[in-house]
Amino acid sequence: MEIFETPLPGVGTRYEFTAEAGDHVGVVVRRDGRRDIALYDREDPDACRGTIELTEGDASKVAELLGGTNITTRLDELTHTVEGLAIEWATMPESGGLTGRTLGEGRIRTQTGASVVAVIRKEAGIPGPMPDFVFKAGDTVLVMGAADAVHRATRVLTG
Amino acid sequence: MGTMPHALIHMAAPPGSETGAVLIELGIVLLVLALLGRFAAKIGIPSVPLYLLAGLVMGEGGFIPVSAGEDFLAVGAQIGVVLLLLLLGLEYSPADLQVGLKTSWKAGVVDAIANAIPGFAMGLILGWSITASLLLAGVTYISSSGIIARLLEDFDRLANRETPVILSLLVMEDIAMALYLPIMAVLLVGASILQGAITAAIAIGVVALAFIISFRFSRHVSRLVHSHSRELLLLGVLGLAFLVAGLAEAVQVSAAVGAFLLGLTLSGQVADEVHGLLPPLRDVFGGIFFVFFGISIDPRDLLPVAIPALILAVITAGTKIATGVWAARRVGIGPKGQWRTGLTLVPRGEFSIVIAGLGIAAGLQPKLGPLAAGYVLILAVVGSLLMRYADRIPSPLARTKVLTPSS
Repeated sequence: MEIFETPLPGVGTRYEFTAEAGDHVGVVVRRDGRRDIALYDREDPDACRGTIELTEGDASKVAELLGGTNITTRLDELTHTVEGLAIEWATMPESGGLTGRTLGEGRIRTQTGASVVAVIRKEAGIPGPMPDFVFKAGDTVLVMGAADAVHRATRVLTG
Repeated sequence: MGTMPHALIHMAAPPGSETGAVLIELGIVLLVLALLGRFAAKIGIPSVPLYLLAGLVMGEGGFIPVSAGEDFLAVGAQIGVVLLLLLLGLEYSPADLQVGLKTSWKAGVVDAIANAIPGFAMGLILGWSITASLLLAGVTYISSSGIIARLLEDFDRLANRETPVILSLLVMEDIAMALYLPIMAVLLVGASILQGAITAAIAIGVVALAFIISFRFSRHVSRLVHSHSRELLLLGVLGLAFLVAGLAEAVQVSAAVGAFLLGLTLSGQVADEVHGLLPPLRDVFGGIFFVFFGISIDPRDLLPVAIPALILAVITAGTKIATGVWAARRVGIGPKGQWRTGLTLVPRGEFSIVIAGLGIAAGLQPKLGPLAAGYVLILAVVGSLLMRYADRIPSPLARTKVLTPSS
């Protein structure tokens, strides 16, 4: 599916795509976070047959219903609110680093000040892993903290 | 020590009744605006023309005299202009301006030529000075981004494919205002051609500087006033806006221009947050501005300029429609979309009044105010009706017959 992006000066950005069934759909992402979903008219392809206005909260609920995840946008907002907050996704290597060892062994919190807040293993998310959590190769580890602390923590994790 | 309470009483007693009178008048004015705003929303037209009408029936020559509060209204109107233009400047980010310039400068030039010339010509025909005619050119040129943006949202047309064409044209008008306003401000001071050329060059230099600041250093300007507290942010932005506007006025560049340029230089997070904070304040003081503009016009002066205003409205509605159709066709919008684009650009509103206000403040041409008021009254109402019924108004462009709505 190809998505076309058009800037709407003063409003935000419009994305449009043609669904496989043939419907032409547009999504307007406004600067204040509201979203509009529009269905284009087949007779007059420049006009909409109808639009649905969603608040930011509505939009993330709908996104979940549609099977998407909105972790990334939430994290984006977080980095906006807390200045200097860094978030990094580290992928555990085949060997070395903390692969095969526990979170407690790495002493990441004590040594760097950064926190491991979640691990994604295959499709499952593991929020707040305990010190006895054992990392496996291929785990995606979410680290948060000050920028340089996150950097050091990532080095401990991946070796 | 003993004289202090005496002085206080002396200060408070006689003006006390005056303050009361000012508050009462102000209260009545705001209540009238509130009622008119409701009425406008109910019948689906923008509130600007009704505010103007309210002003016309107040004050000299009208039914409701306004005397005690006039000083406050004058200051309030000035604040309204500053806020209107600050937010106009804020409306578009540097990236928006770049996109607008890149994609639609040609349409912008056509828009300016097609819609400014009728106003300029009408000024000359009426025997006005070049400066007054140039102001009238500005009045007829600039579409109301306030009315258009609001109605696009109300009529659910934001996602329409012709909407970027409309918004880019509004951006181009915004950029044109950045050059036009300082030049007019200089001409209004009554400089000779040579002086005018020099000061206009300086004005353009200042605008260029503001753009450079906007593109390169806006983060630093924004940091100056940024705060996580809404209260502090509001105080910072308003303080900066009034200071810059006042300084601009002091060097005779007009407060409006100063506020506008400041709006352009603020961007990023500050711009986004101010966007959520300032509009209610702008609407209140903007309303006062329109009322005050109406008050400053004697309704009896409207009649003699009714015919020119009507002629100008018809001609420039036509030229705007033509501009829109042309601009939409260039980017491959279908005939119906072209027609909608043209009709959408017709409303004139707040900025036409701001431009005419510059001339009134300079005491330039007594007929400019009434003519602009009449013109905006017509096109704000007719323009928004054209926008609303765009799909039902048979388009001369569509080859297929437009079906009459069965509902």
